[in-house]
Amino acid sequence: MRNVGIIGIGYTPVFVSKRKEVNIPEMISEAVDAGFQNTGLTPADIDAMVFGNMHTFEGVNLPHLWAAEHIRSLGKPVMRIATGGTTGMAAFHAGYYHVASGMADVVMVVTYEKHSEGDAQVGLMGIITPEVMTMLAAGIDVTGGSGMGAIGGGSAGGISFQASSYLYHSGAGIEHIDEQAALERRNAAKNPYAHLKDPEATAEKIAQTPLVSWPIRFGHICPTTDGATVCILASEEKAAKLADKVAWVLSVANCASDATTANLIESQITDPAEHLPAIIASKQAYERAGIVDPKKEIDYVEIYNGFAHQTLMYLEKIGMCEVGEAHKLQEAGELEMNGRCPVNASGGVVSTNSIGTSALNRVTEAALQVLGQAGEHQVEKDVHTALAHGWGGLMQYVTITILGDKPKKA
Amino acid sequence: MEETKIVNGAWELSTFHFPIEGRGLKTMLKNMKDKKLVGFKCPQCGMVYMPGPFYCRKCFIRIDDEAEVSDHGEIMTFTIGYADVRGNPLDEPRIAPVVKLDGCDSWIMGVLEGVKPEDVHVGMRVKVKWAEERTGSLQDMQYFLPE
Amino acid sequence: MDNKVAIVGFNMASALDLETTRERLSFDLTRGLFDDLGIERDDVGTFIICTNDFLDGRTISNVFLDPSVGAYMKDESKVEMDGLNALTYACMRILSGQYETALVATLALTGTQVSPYLHIGYTLDASYDRPIKLLNELSAAALEARSYLAKYGYSEELLDDIALQDLANAARNPNQARRLEGVSKDQIAGSAYLYEPLRELHCYPATDGGCMMLLASEKRAKELCDKPVWIKGIGRSTDNYYLGDRDLSGSISASQAAERAMGMAGIKDPRKELDFAEISSLFAHQEPLLAEAMGLLEPGKAAEAYKSGDTAIDGKLPINPSGGPLGGHPICSSGLMRAAEAVLQLRGEAGKNQVEKADVALAHGQDGVCAQQSVVVVLGT
Ligand SMILES: [Zn+2]
Repeated sequence: MRNVGIIGIGYTPVFVSKRKEVNIPEMISEAVDAGFQNTGLTPADIDAMVFGNMHTFEGVNLPHLWAAEHIRSLGKPVMRIATGGTTGMAAFHAGYYHVASGMADVVMVVTYEKHSEGDAQVGLMGIITPEVMTMLAAGIDVTGGSGMGAIGGGSAGGISFQASSYLYHSGAGIEHIDEQAALERRNAAKNPYAHLKDPEATAEKIAQTPLVSWPIRFGHICPTTDGATVCILASEEKAAKLADKVAWVLSVANCASDATTANLIESQITDPAEHLPAIIASKQAYERAGIVDPKKEIDYVEIYNGFAHQTLMYLEKIGMCEVGEAHKLQEAGELEMNGRCPVNASGGVVSTNSIGTSALNRVTEAALQVLGQAGEHQVEKDVHTALAHGWGGLMQYVTITILGDKPKKA
Repeated sequence: MEETKIVNGAWELSTFHFPIEGRGLKTMLKNMKDKKLVGFKCPQCGMVYMPGPFYCRKCFIRIDDEAEVSDHGEIMTFTIGYADVRGNPLDEPRIAPVVKLDGCDSWIMGVLEGVKPEDVHVGMRVKVKWAEERTGSLQDMQYFLPE
Repeated sequence: MDNKVAIVGFNMASALDLETTRERLSFDLTRGLFDDLGIERDDVGTFIICTNDFLDGRTISNVFLDPSVGAYMKDESKVEMDGLNALTYACMRILSGQYETALVATLALTGTQVSPYLHIGYTLDASYDRPIKLLNELSAAALEARSYLAKYGYSEELLDDIALQDLANAARNPNQARRLEGVSKDQIAGSAYLYEPLRELHCYPATDGGCMMLLASEKRAKELCDKPVWIKGIGRSTDNYYLGDRDLSGSISASQAAERAMGMAGIKDPRKELDFAEISSLFAHQEPLLAEAMGLLEPGKAAEAYKSGDTAIDGKLPINPSGGPLGGHPICSSGLMRAAEAVLQLRGEAGKNQVEKADVALAHGQDGVCAQQSVVVVLGT
């Protein structure tokens, strides 16, 4: 297999709630331009592009068509990838396979979301619209008042089932979720491309935000963000010519399961807190990267945490610690930027969620740590290998990417 | 910077058709009139789905054998709702458990009554409270009660 | 790409109304394919689903399709374009050496929707083209048709000749959705104008359908089937969004994609070296327009070619011997179905529509208004 490396990253200048001064193609072009500026490349250097977002959120189908000129894709192959929350990383993986297969040498992955132009709740409900309609016809009470199959809990309902089960199995408490949210908002304050920043965030402050659906509080939930991210990948040969420093892709893996939100029509059989797809995908990624003991060999982790408990939960699922240990690492300060197991120095998804970019930002943030270019939020320890994680869909899809500072040996 | 002009649009879901798998739900609703819960069992691996798909996810074969499921089960996970889908606060917190009924491998969501929020826990045994008048609707199973 | 990845099998269905659910269609087609090949889902290394959220009317349309194509606890990704792009991605995953087999799963139940043209409506510039309500898939195609006819001074009759050839081919093809037995030129010329010069029978019909296709590495392909069809070359390209910035009488995306695919396959003279072509011409005029762009027809000679039968099944270079998308266009599956029809021909299993010499073929797929994006795959025995 050909080695593939990350040779460039581009972000929109800011990630905020509402970018009213630009439209969708204009906003994406800011990140594309940043990618070119940061690398000194021009559109002529790009062989192919991969594009991703969650297009039902803005109501624009296949937005890469409208944005073709803005993303400099005229005359180029463009592949649109969409897998929900993991879109950004699924698109990155497609970019990886473009190069690994030999079908392209230099690929630009473009992702964005402009949440302010749509309705994220409507977009998310759109996942199960037909099922909800059928259940309504079968006598479900959509207010969650009575009857089997009631949709309890509201907007964060599905996630709170995962969170409460996680707390039960790990022995962690809601106070650990509070602290994780606070920790990441403090980290976000050091990241110029983060949305919700609070250098003074504390667990006590988060604990004062209202409970939405036990154990999930308002303070545990990601914001809706406008922003775009690009990532440029190249073959080993091209990378040597085009870049001074490269973050190498050591392996990629995905795993899909059934929808794990107690959907009555399809019937869930997989525990959202046990999260078998995360276990399978990470094991596969370690095997492919030649990693035997992730606890020792992975220096840095970016977790896709739309909700704060997920940082702790997924650290356990991907084998960075044993089940029930993540909150103890947190108590010992090991998850902080100067800790032994630093995670989400970027602030994570809980601080910034322009959803199409979110899973790609896990990769680009892991790459910045490997490259030593994360600036104020660079972690204290040396980062030789890093893992980026993503989950999406109805908690039924997981993507993993492992990066390193050296290319994989043939 | 000058703000852009806002143009409103809509995603017309009404123009789409949503054919949905109905066998499992139909069988379940029909039997609920008689306070019975019926799912489908995979002849190869023995997984029982209710109402579930018409095939086994693991074995990838069609499943057509009906299997009776108990109206007692165990709480796999739960949440306590404080707000509705639009984020408006509820008058009273509402307990929503996800239950694995005995003899069934798929999970089912509902409402839990007869217990205080602070006393609910994963692994708790519960049973179905059936409606007095049953019409073959999801409302026939009113809520769960502690066993 | 010298015989590294092969199509080992496929299973497809297409009808104006399949009377099924997405889960049932995907399960039935996939299970059928597995039974044909004698494999189980564990024999599939990776899955590429190809659907469109706007066609499905639901967000993340692969959520409920993962289990029903057999991808439970498996590696899966979703391409949201024409199915030939999903084939491209599956091909890359095998070429990388990571996987030996890949299932491409495409489907859309668009036959019973109010308008199959809706999803293109939603691709339009939300702040200009949509509010003024002039541009849609049909009006754009009509502009393109007029522009093409005017370029060479063709009459509208050419559209009837093209549609007649396609619809007659489709009528003989059991895989097609719109099969008009004994279709005549008068019938086509007498069908209602949708957008002048395009009449109803010049346009693709609203179609339900799906196509599952298994790709495999050279080694696995030879184990799995007797007649593997090899992927010889793939090319893709993108044109401008704004119609005003394009030459609508031709197709840059198709010419660039074809050039790349044929370059990879080592084809220098397509008119000589290709035995037939399956083209995603959603509207009658697109068939010669795209064929010219890809170097399959001599520019300006389309009227002669259709009159003389050069493009017919027994002609010099048969185009759409399957009947093409005028016989059925399940969006997302459509391009992959062109490849599937080509496989039937290359294996000599195309029945009444079999072309005599079938060793090398071209399949084309498109996305966007007037083929803003094209994908071309060269296949061979
Ligand atoms: Zn089974």
